[in-house]
Amino acid sequence: MNDVPKTLNFRKRSAQAVQDGTLRQAMRTATDTFTEKRSQGVASLPIEAWRDQASEIKIGVLDDLHNYVDRFAASATRAGAVVHRAPDAASARDIVYNVLKDHGAKRIVKAKSMVTEEIHLNRHLEERGMKVVETDLGEYIVQIAEESPSHILAPAIHKNRQQIGRLFADKLGVEYSEDPEVLTGIAREVLRQEFLSADAGITGANFAVAGTGSIAMFTNEGNGRMVTTLPKLHIAVLTIEKIVPTLADLMTFIRLLPRSATGQPLSSYLSVITGTRRPGDATGAEALHIVLVDNGRSQIAAGEFRDILKCIRCSACMNVCPVYRTVGGHAYGSTYPGPMGIILTVLLEGMEHAHNLLDATTLCGACADVCPVRVPIPHLLRELRKLRVKEGFTPSLERMAMAGFGMAVQSPRLFGLGDRMVKAAWPVATFLGGKGVLDRLPKPAKNTAGRRKS
Amino acid sequence: MTENSIVEEFLKRCENVAAKTVRVHSAEELQSAVHERLFDNDRVYCPAMTEREKTLVIREELRVDDCFSANVTVEEVLAGIVETGSIVCSSEGGRSLQASVLPERHIAIVATDRIFATLDDFFSRYDEDPPNNITLITGPSRTADIELTLTIGVHGPKSLDIIVA
Amino acid sequence: MRAQLFTTCLVNTFFPGTGEATRKLLEYFGVEVLSPAGQTCCGKPPDSAGYTKEVRAAARHFLSVFEGTEPIVIPSGSCASMVKNHYQHLFERHDPMRRLAEETANRTFELTQYLVGELRAHSAGLRGRGKITYHSSCQLSRELGVKEEPLILLKSLEGAEFVELPHADRCCGFGGTFMAKLPEVSMKMADEKAELIEATGADTVTGCDHGCLMNIADALKRRGSRVKVKHIAQVLAEGL
Repeated sequence: MNDVPKTLNFRKRSAQAVQDGTLRQAMRTATDTFTEKRSQGVASLPIEAWRDQASEIKIGVLDDLHNYVDRFAASATRAGAVVHRAPDAASARDIVYNVLKDHGAKRIVKAKSMVTEEIHLNRHLEERGMKVVETDLGEYIVQIAEESPSHILAPAIHKNRQQIGRLFADKLGVEYSEDPEVLTGIAREVLRQEFLSADAGITGANFAVAGTGSIAMFTNEGNGRMVTTLPKLHIAVLTIEKIVPTLADLMTFIRLLPRSATGQPLSSYLSVITGTRRPGDATGAEALHIVLVDNGRSQIAAGEFRDILKCIRCSACMNVCPVYRTVGGHAYGSTYPGPMGIILTVLLEGMEHAHNLLDATTLCGACADVCPVRVPIPHLLRELRKLRVKEGFTPSLERMAMAGFGMAVQSPRLFGLGDRMVKAAWPVATFLGGKGVLDRLPKPAKNTAGRRKS
Repeated sequence: MTENSIVEEFLKRCENVAAKTVRVHSAEELQSAVHERLFDNDRVYCPAMTEREKTLVIREELRVDDCFSANVTVEEVLAGIVETGSIVCSSEGGRSLQASVLPERHIAIVATDRIFATLDDFFSRYDEDPPNNITLITGPSRTADIELTLTIGVHGPKSLDIIVA
Repeated sequence: MRAQLFTTCLVNTFFPGTGEATRKLLEYFGVEVLSPAGQTCCGKPPDSAGYTKEVRAAARHFLSVFEGTEPIVIPSGSCASMVKNHYQHLFERHDPMRRLAEETANRTFELTQYLVGELRAHSAGLRGRGKITYHSSCQLSRELGVKEEPLILLKSLEGAEFVELPHADRCCGFGGTFMAKLPEVSMKMADEKAELIEATGADTVTGCDHGCLMNIADALKRRGSRVKVKHIAQVLAEGL
């Protein structure tokens, strides 16, 4: 994309974000609420055993990813779906566009899907004269505000009710209200018309079952059900790591995903869709196209960072992340924010583009405590930082300082000298640093009684 | 677990996810439970496909032929799942999946002998060739997308009544 | 009983009092404290920044300085975790340094871990004063799994009142280089921590890592708070 900056500037974006009091309050409330609900939702359940199971299932698939992709494609085809393979984002966009064009579809309703954000699908279709309407309430709000989601589960969480009320009044010509119930009612009316008049529905999928060719979708609002059953054409776009072997394996993920996300035992709706409408069926799309997007996954699966592909996008890691809750999703400047987002963005977009995101962690490890599929997030972050050094994307001053450290650390005399230099240079450094880092540190002690000789 | 305790647990878990529940013990009780839940200006869709649906008497002036014009659906659903407090709708047998999502109210009848203890118990019957659509419904449609304020009834029903018969 | 004391860079440079307090505590419990000459840094800063070569240099040096069989006691969760959890992964399986790193890991203790697990200091009737709350630092609680030990010690203090800090294990925003690279974010995180600390009504906040405590002290200072910040070694040594 030509309007994407060459290198994400997390420092600048996050410094701006923390100035926004409304945003910070919203993020704090949201992440605290989700985290608290998750804790309650997993209490007194064999959650640790489920996490082990889920992790094992995912690893099993990653070990033999291409075989599972083939098996899923064969099963889905047998059930009546047309399966497409997209090696990258551009081909995925083209496939979706061509399917829509072939069906003469102009009006499209969408259920929330992160991969379509990743491949920037909406803009591609809109530039070609199609009307694309997001139907998840949060996603709809973000869409009419011409923004991007700030949270993968609650896309409009950065906006307060007043902002949404004004947005609806401006864009929809309705009377201003800041009552969430009224605003939700307005969206229900507007979007109901969209559902009923749409030519096609586009969704993602939370999981895809190799054995049966089914896709599983979790929603709370019911929009996913409308999108998949009302229009004649349904296009499901999903990345290949979403595959699980069998329906029986899916059970573990049904137990984990909603609980990790919102603490619910299950989202209001879980639809398992297999192929197209059968003879005698009263509902269901007549045509189902499944676009299996690789976009870097095969490469990741073959390398040392493969564990990130276990991720099921529950958002638990961002909800507990102390950095995410402070800066919000937009500061990352990437499709996927938070701890898993940093890893995925670096791997998908490249080190040159995303290396600054690697600073957006204190390596506190809170994410690893909650990840339902046991992605070793802190470990992957540390390894990516090593890779960043290896590839030369750290500041030269830092590299020099570290090299100096490497020499001094082996020589107590040199290290002691450094130590004394710190002390001697402190007043000057504090003065030069101004309101920066140094005056946040205490003054060095005059003597080093603690490290006396025994 | 005895059948009775399974039903009790099922009702409790459905209530926990904001469904309203009642248990009936005869056709007459079922009939009156449904009636109590309907109002004079309702437009009621009932598929009249299962035996229970066929024997239900719904006032002629309230009935509509399709779920698109209905504001309430009364139907017997495929199953109930205790573990999650869910009811299950499926496209099997030509049943409409839209009936449980388009109208504002959903009144679902679950037969006692169709209540499964766990997700696995229910799904194990579909190892091969599942129907086009199996949907688990766990409480009414909801969103918390505006300031995390829980709002019931976004795109789907604002209320879910479960009658165990 | 003998133990080797590693006094960490922060203690050495900024907080020698904590080194003294640690020594005093250990001696009180009959431990002969050795301070191996030539100790420098455990390598934590280059480790979290991704500079493997430099970390390996630090590890080699540390492992040679702290040779022997005595337990190694460290008044810092993150430095202890560095030695205990990360050193061994720096060396190939057949590298003799790997064996040494593993052996060293087995006899390395964070201070409170040693005080409770080996010395049963919580049953010694130590004295304290005032109202104390505790910040649980990340590497200490998550990498080392030291969650209860500091609490057991603080709750055992006669004459002191312990108050729990809500979200005690949420990161304070220090994160080593994080503090320097993203000062705006780090400060906001620390501000929130300080806010929670003040709300407890405690007059002292303590912890096991000077990195975090330094960051917290700065945030408290910005708020004009009167809450005192002390390393747990100091809190405990005051009652001897």
